[in-house]
Amino acid sequence: MRTGRNSGMPWLVQAISGLALVALLGLHMIANHFVVEGGLRTYEDVLDYLSTPAIFVLEVVFLLVVVPHAFLGLRAMLLDLGLKPRIQRILDIILGALGISASLYGIALFVTLQGRI
Amino acid sequence: MQDDQRGISRALAWFNVSGRKMGSWAFALNRLTGIGLTLYLLLHLGVLTLLVLGEAQWDAFIALARSPLILALDVVLIFGILYHGLNGIRVALVGMGIAVRWQKALFWGLMALGALLLAVSGWLIFTI
Amino acid sequence: MTQGRSGKWQVTFRVFRYKRDAGLARYDTFPLEIGPDETVLDGLEKIWAFQDRSLAFRHACHHASCGTCGMRINGVEKLACIVPVHEVARDGGTVLCEPLRSFPLVSDLVVDVGQFFRRLEEANFEIIRIAEPLPQAQEEALTRFENCIECGLCVSACPVAASDELYLGPATLAASWRMKEEPRSANVPRVLANADQEHGCWRCHAAFECSEVCPSNVDPAAAIMALRRELLKRKLFRRSDNAG
Repeated sequence: MRTGRNSGMPWLVQAISGLALVALLGLHMIANHFVVEGGLRTYEDVLDYLSTPAIFVLEVVFLLVVVPHAFLGLRAMLLDLGLKPRIQRILDIILGALGISASLYGIALFVTLQGRI
Repeated sequence: MQDDQRGISRALAWFNVSGRKMGSWAFALNRLTGIGLTLYLLLHLGVLTLLVLGEAQWDAFIALARSPLILALDVVLIFGILYHGLNGIRVALVGMGIAVRWQKALFWGLMALGALLLAVSGWLIFTI
Repeated sequence: MTQGRSGKWQVTFRVFRYKRDAGLARYDTFPLEIGPDETVLDGLEKIWAFQDRSLAFRHACHHASCGTCGMRINGVEKLACIVPVHEVARDGGTVLCEPLRSFPLVSDLVVDVGQFFRRLEEANFEIIRIAEPLPQAQEEALTRFENCIECGLCVSACPVAASDELYLGPATLAASWRMKEEPRSANVPRVLANADQEHGCWRCHAAFECSEVCPSNVDPAAAIMALRRELLKRKLFRRSDNAG
């Protein structure tokens, strides 16, 4: 169990990432769906969209904020199980690894698509 | 003492909102939408693989995603995003000691905004 | 509403029953003739006196001061001693009485409050009544926290405490804030360190149910948020007690 200086960190990260996501997800939804004819981008549209550096950065930042927020949320639910500290630590490592994998996978996707522009 | 409340059943106790007030409903719905959005995030990342597979695969998916059923599911998704996001604003602010006394008014104000945005989004989803 | 000639109502008390040696829990029903202004605790005492001597429930002061008769009445945490029957039932209706949630069950409506009080002790909570003069009580907030009667209703109502048995709970966290605000002999850094843990103040999910059911208007939820703000300030700006 985290105590002392770091014990509030997961909560603080969750709160701040959550507030950031209101803006980031809002922008993501508007840019990807609500200003697009038909609501969804075709393959060509996607490549065109990602060719703008600011958009590329926005999407990567969105990914890197939303993934920790999602996995910290899952972790909060697992805390309810009242697991032994050792098992909780193992779960933390598993969730961390999954989060990092998901982030790397997303970035790899973006980079692959950028390579096709 | 009985210990049958322990373990998994206890871990799900947060979902029992019977007889409870706004706060418990808000919390339970926040978790439910959070679980849903996390699953959607993973699904979304998986579906984006189609972009790597090529134009034909992605554009075939886009055609499918424009079907009325999927569009209706998109409205459910927007509901989840709006609820989780707007209630999250309350939870984050109040959790930092901001607007604690007005948290109920803040909740209902944000929910009113959410209902408006959901209506606009729903209309856009089926018209753009 | 109809009232009988005697001014009494016919009310059925549906009471949760559990005896450790008798196996599974069950609900017993007790038909009762009771005045609408009599309390739920009066009803339970009548059941005990005239119908079932094995019914276990805690009570002492009968005026919302001791905090021992907390239970769930029709699913909501209340002090049975101050809830008139007409508030929770109609003539011919039913009153459901169940023990508090999130406490180990001992017998019928009696739960084990040992852990609850140990956690309050860890928060250095001194039980000082509102009638006792406070040395520096200029703010209403101080006297409000003083009102905690350690009834445990807040813990039972809290959805986080219902799931996470390690959670310190609203009463302990409210007590921690109370001791920070007006420490007396409390060791404030220790009190704050006790609250500053993953199963402490950071675990709250802002459902505010604790403040909804508190019979003394302690407002534990506001105390938890104040604790967080204080701890955040200390973490982010490295404030200590010496630095004010």
